[in-house]
Amino acid sequence: MRRRGTLKTGLLPGGNVALEKIGLTEEDVRDEIMSEEQDLVKELVTMSTRECIQAIRDLPMCMEDKKNIRNQVLASKSSKKGFLLTCSADCSEQISLSLRRCGVGLSSARQAVRLWQGTMKEIGGRFGTSVLSYFSFLKWLLMFNTISFLVNFGFITIPQLVQTSGRSPDVRFTGLELITGAGYFNQTVMYYGGYINGTKDSDFKYNMQLAYFFTIAAYLVLCGVSLIYSMARSFRRNFVLSDLSSGSAWRLLCSWDFSMVNERAVRQRKNNLRVQLKESLSEMMQTNFLPVSERMKQLGIHLCTWVVSAGLAAGSCAAIYYLCQYNLQQIKVSQNPGNLKEEASTLLLPFVVSLFNLVIPLLYSLLSKVENYSNPRFQIYVIILRNVFLKMSILSILCFHWVNNVTTNVPMCWESYVGQDLYRLVIVNFFFSIFGSFFGEFLRRIIGTRCMPSIGIPEFDIATNVLDLIYAQTLTWIGIYFSPLLPLIQMIKLFLLFYLKKVSLNRNCQPPRRSGRAAQMQTIYIALLFFPSFVGALSLVAYTVWCLTPSDSCGPFQGLNTTFEAVSLWMEDTAIISEFSWAVWIYSHMIKSELFFFLLALIFLVLIYFFWQITQGRKMLIILLKEQIINEGKDKAFLLEKLRTFQNLSLVPYHAENVHGPQYFERTYQTESDYSEGYQRGACPEEDTPPFASSALMQAMMARRQAEEEDEEY
Amino acid sequence: MGNKQTIFTPQQLDAYQDCTFFTRKEILRLFYRYHNLAPQLVPLDYTSKPDVKLPYELIGSMPELKDNPFRQRIAQVFSEDGEGNMTLDDFLDMFSALSEMAPRDLKAYYAFKIYDFNDDDYICKSDLEKTLNKLTRNELTEDEVRMVCEKVIDESDLDNDGRLSLEDFQHMIVRAPDFLSTFHIRI
Repeated sequence: MRRRGTLKTGLLPGGNVALEKIGLTEEDVRDEIMSEEQDLVKELVTMSTRECIQAIRDLPMCMEDKKNIRNQVLASKSSKKGFLLTCSADCSEQISLSLRRCGVGLSSARQAVRLWQGTMKEIGGRFGTSVLSYFSFLKWLLMFNTISFLVNFGFITIPQLVQTSGRSPDVRFTGLELITGAGYFNQTVMYYGGYINGTKDSDFKYNMQLAYFFTIAAYLVLCGVSLIYSMARSFRRNFVLSDLSSGSAWRLLCSWDFSMVNERAVRQRKNNLRVQLKESLSEMMQTNFLPVSERMKQLGIHLCTWVVSAGLAAGSCAAIYYLCQYNLQQIKVSQNPGNLKEEASTLLLPFVVSLFNLVIPLLYSLLSKVENYSNPRFQIYVIILRNVFLKMSILSILCFHWVNNVTTNVPMCWESYVGQDLYRLVIVNFFFSIFGSFFGEFLRRIIGTRCMPSIGIPEFDIATNVLDLIYAQTLTWIGIYFSPLLPLIQMIKLFLLFYLKKVSLNRNCQPPRRSGRAAQMQTIYIALLFFPSFVGALSLVAYTVWCLTPSDSCGPFQGLNTTFEAVSLWMEDTAIISEFSWAVWIYSHMIKSELFFFLLALIFLVLIYFFWQITQGRKMLIILLKEQIINEGKDKAFLLEKLRTFQNLSLVPYHAENVHGPQYFERTYQTESDYSEGYQRGACPEEDTPPFASSALMQAMMARRQAEEEDEEY
Repeated sequence: MGNKQTIFTPQQLDAYQDCTFFTRKEILRLFYRYHNLAPQLVPLDYTSKPDVKLPYELIGSMPELKDNPFRQRIAQVFSEDGEGNMTLDDFLDMFSALSEMAPRDLKAYYAFKIYDFNDDDYICKSDLEKTLNKLTRNELTEDEVRMVCEKVIDESDLDNDGRLSLEDFQHMIVRAPDFLSTFHIRI
């Protein structure tokens, strides 16, 4: 990499006088630098325009030098073109120029449309990058839901609305529907029950069955692919290449957040850094040896807390299950289904679920205070694991209940019933988020500043909030099949949540004390979004589609044995048409046959083993290369020292002042006798020695000049 | 999308676009920020390439920089005279290197320059001590400062010469994925 300033000879300290002393003139240095510049220009001319511009932007030089190089490159490119036929070259030049202008215009238009750009800048400036990651995550989830809503609305809802444009539901609209989701909404396109396969009665040729199935399948596949891609990219960037131990070097040189612009935040960050450095120093000095009894006690405490947290999760699951059973019994017993009181009582289940989701994590954090963790990052991982376990077990109990009990016991449309349950869960979760924000942040700040100043202002709890988002997104993904417009509710909810959290953050919270590894936590959150959340939702929807019988009285799949039968029937219909026999062949021999998937799995396993072996080989290569770097460093020091010694011997009259300059290095080499001269390693000399005296470039030039002189003598 | 601005010639604007990571609009917006720092010094017409340098005090008082402990070093590294007095070119260059589009190697190079207080192309112990003092407001004892600096050099000095060269620093940056997002000034 070319160093900034070496192209400007005026910046060489010491100036002409010092240069003369080692036998070089400023002209020689300038010539050398010019030839390097010519090489660079030649290299740039051979690249395409886009690569060339990217390379110029990446040069670590000042603007004037970059413009200089750019002009030279453009001049030589146009002179080369001058030899070719002018017309076609001109045209292609114009086209590429206009394409480039178009691309630039598009990217600036895209930047103008970006949502919440100014707000995110403000939050990043005041609170740092880790808090900003929560808001970026929220924005990313909003994008998922927007795509889902657009796709569902376009392919499923609009055709249905066109079909049923004449009819209207016979229940009155009361305000309670917005929360319970039942009543007026029950027969609208909000839920599965509102969709009918119209190809049979009317002349409207839209196969709602296939549209419903394929839209949802395509969206889920798209989601899965994009999640895997993000997860893999994030993992590669943040885990594989990074050093897992958080050392002082990283903390001192790489962790300072340059984007913080608030004076108080900066002061706080400095305090935190000081505390962390002191902690790491004291860790260094303290021995980690604990007596056996102490360690057994720690282990016992850990075991107890894990048992207690598992017990809490199991207890809440049992309670929810009994509540679900009670709800089902109420439906069987109920006389008039439109009773307002009964509709309101359906809100009890979501209320209890959200209450458990709010209170039990607080109990978990209390438990973790009892335990003593050596590594604070490990503590965060354990807390996240417990919370995820709780949320996923609650969701599994609910899914189990829906799949086993609801399908057989509900007199009307069971899919709409499940859809309404999910709607209520999403809405009540939103209210509890507001509630939690109010208590967790606003009231705690009041308590912390007025009543008990020892607690202080709360920090923004990123982990809890992100897990909350993941939980809500799981509900939405489960609900896509049962209620195609649920993503709309989730979109509105995320939009409002952004502003709510922003206001609460600005008023009630302080920047985080530990500058944690935000990038690694980001990878973990994406992985959590993929693994229990998306995969769980996908398996539930897949199970529903593959194995469960659709209800007889409503929905587009009435009368079929399973939802997937719609596709089989369609395939049988197309088998009659001979042009699509290849599609039918693919369906019957690849999608329906188990042998195909077995072979595919076998091939992937072999590939995974192969890549694993490559990774092992690369690890060994890295170790060897590191050793090589160390050896090169030693070689460089040795050779520079030899050069300096020779220069001193040959130019003795001019070197009186420079003898103090050069630095000596000490090595204690066990093996090589060549290095037995022994070099002194001192601390860096305090006074500013002329750097060019030890610069490799200058040394090399001096050596070359001497060699030329010796050649001339012969 | 016509050329309604009269501050730069189209060639100048193209050159700026090719040499920084900014679009036309951003370059003009940055120009207005530069102009607003000293409206009487900075002309609104750069077609004649005026030689205008803003003193460091004005640059250091920008809201994006005024609380940054390294603002003086940043200005010194990016300025032509090494004192912190910046022309428009230096100003654009500085914010371009610190923007989110700049690649990791370029940022690592400039971060290295910023931490290299004595400009000798190596981060030696005295540079680390100065960095530490700027980041902790001089509140660590001398012993603690010495121990931290020794630990840093132990951890990252690959070629064992007692100081960090650019390659050592870049190797450390590759293993710190947060660096790209923290070495970033939004403007």
